[in-house]
Amino acid sequence: MISSVRLKPLNWHPYIAPVELSEATPEQLEAMKVTPSAKKVSEYVRTLAHDPESYLARTVLFNAIMYVEGGLARPDRELGALGASLVNGCKFCAVVHARRHAELTKSDEVVTALYLDKPEALGPRDAAIYSFARRLSAAPSEATTDDIAALRSVGMDDCEIIDLIHAISIFGWANRLMHVLGHAESG
Amino acid sequence: MIDAMDKAAGLSPDEALFAARRFRPEFVRGAEECRLSVLQPANDQGLAPNLRVALARRMAALNADPILMAEYDVQLAQLDPTEQLLALAQGETDLIEPLATIVRHVDLITLTPKSAEASHIALLEKAGLNNPQIVALSELIAFVNFQTRVASGLRLMRST
Repeated sequence: MISSVRLKPLNWHPYIAPVELSEATPEQLEAMKVTPSAKKVSEYVRTLAHDPESYLARTVLFNAIMYVEGGLARPDRELGALGASLVNGCKFCAVVHARRHAELTKSDEVVTALYLDKPEALGPRDAAIYSFARRLSAAPSEATTDDIAALRSVGMDDCEIIDLIHAISIFGWANRLMHVLGHAESG
Repeated sequence: MIDAMDKAAGLSPDEALFAARRFRPEFVRGAEECRLSVLQPANDQGLAPNLRVALARRMAALNADPILMAEYDVQLAQLDPTEQLLALAQGETDLIEPLATIVRHVDLITLTPKSAEASHIALLEKAGLNNPQIVALSELIAFVNFQTRVASGLRLMRST
C-alpha cells in the first residue's frame, strides 16, 4: 500500500510583463473573453494576450480538446495531459491535471503511482494511455504502432484514440508556453 | 475538403480515418485556425511569414517528420526566402543575429522543453525581441510541436 501523494496547487508567474488590462487593445480585450477551462483572466492569459490572434485560436481548440462532449472519458484526457506535462517538465500543468484526474475519478491512486514513478502500479487501460502519452511527447516522438495496438486491446475505438492524440499533443503545445514563458511556485 | 493536417497525416477522403477525424469538427477547424494564426497571422508582430515557415521547417526536421519538412520546403520556396532563411530552415546554427539566438531557443524548446529557464527568455530580449514577438515565437514553436504529434499519431493509426 503506497501512501497518497497530496498535490497542492501552484502559482504561475511570467518572465515577461503581461498586458495590463488598462492598456490592452480592443483586439486583446476581445481575445481575453475566452479563457482556458473558462477560468478568470489570469497572468498567464494576459501574458499570451501580447499575441491575441494565436491566443484566441489556441484557447478555443484547447477547450474543445479537453471538454467537448462524448468520446474519450474526461479522466483519460487528463491522464494524457499529465503524461505529456511530466515528460515536458511543466510542473504547473502536471499539478493542475493530476488534481483534475483525482477529482474526476474520486481517487488519487493513479496520480500517486505516477508521482512516485511507479507506472507498473497502473491498471491496463491507464498503463496503455500513460505509456502512449510519454512516448508521443518525446521529441522526436517515440510512439509506435505497438502503442496504438495496446490502446485498441484495452477497448479504445478510433474516435477515442483520436481524442487522446489531441489531448497529449495540445500539452506538447501548452507545456511549451507555460514552462517556457514563466515558472511555478508553491503557495 | 482535405486540410493541412490530412495532408501531413497522408489521409484521403475515401479512408475511414478521414471520416473518424470529422467526428470532431471542432478539432479539425481549430487546428487549421491555429495553423493560420501562427504561420499566416493578420498581424505578424514583425516576425515575417517566411521566417515563420523557415522555423517550422527546422522544427519538422527536429521532430524527424519528412512529410512536414517537404511541405514546409515547398511553402518556403514560394515566400522569397533569403540565403540566411534557407540556411536556418536546413538546421544551420551559424547565422546573423537575431536569427542565431532565435534558432538556439527554437531548438532547445523543441527538443528539451524541460530545461527551459528564465535566462532563455532574457537571451531573446537581449537579441532585440519585444514581448509580442517572444509570445508569437513561443506559440509558433508550440504549434509545430503539436502539429507533428497529431500527424504522427494519425499516421500510426493508419498503419495499424
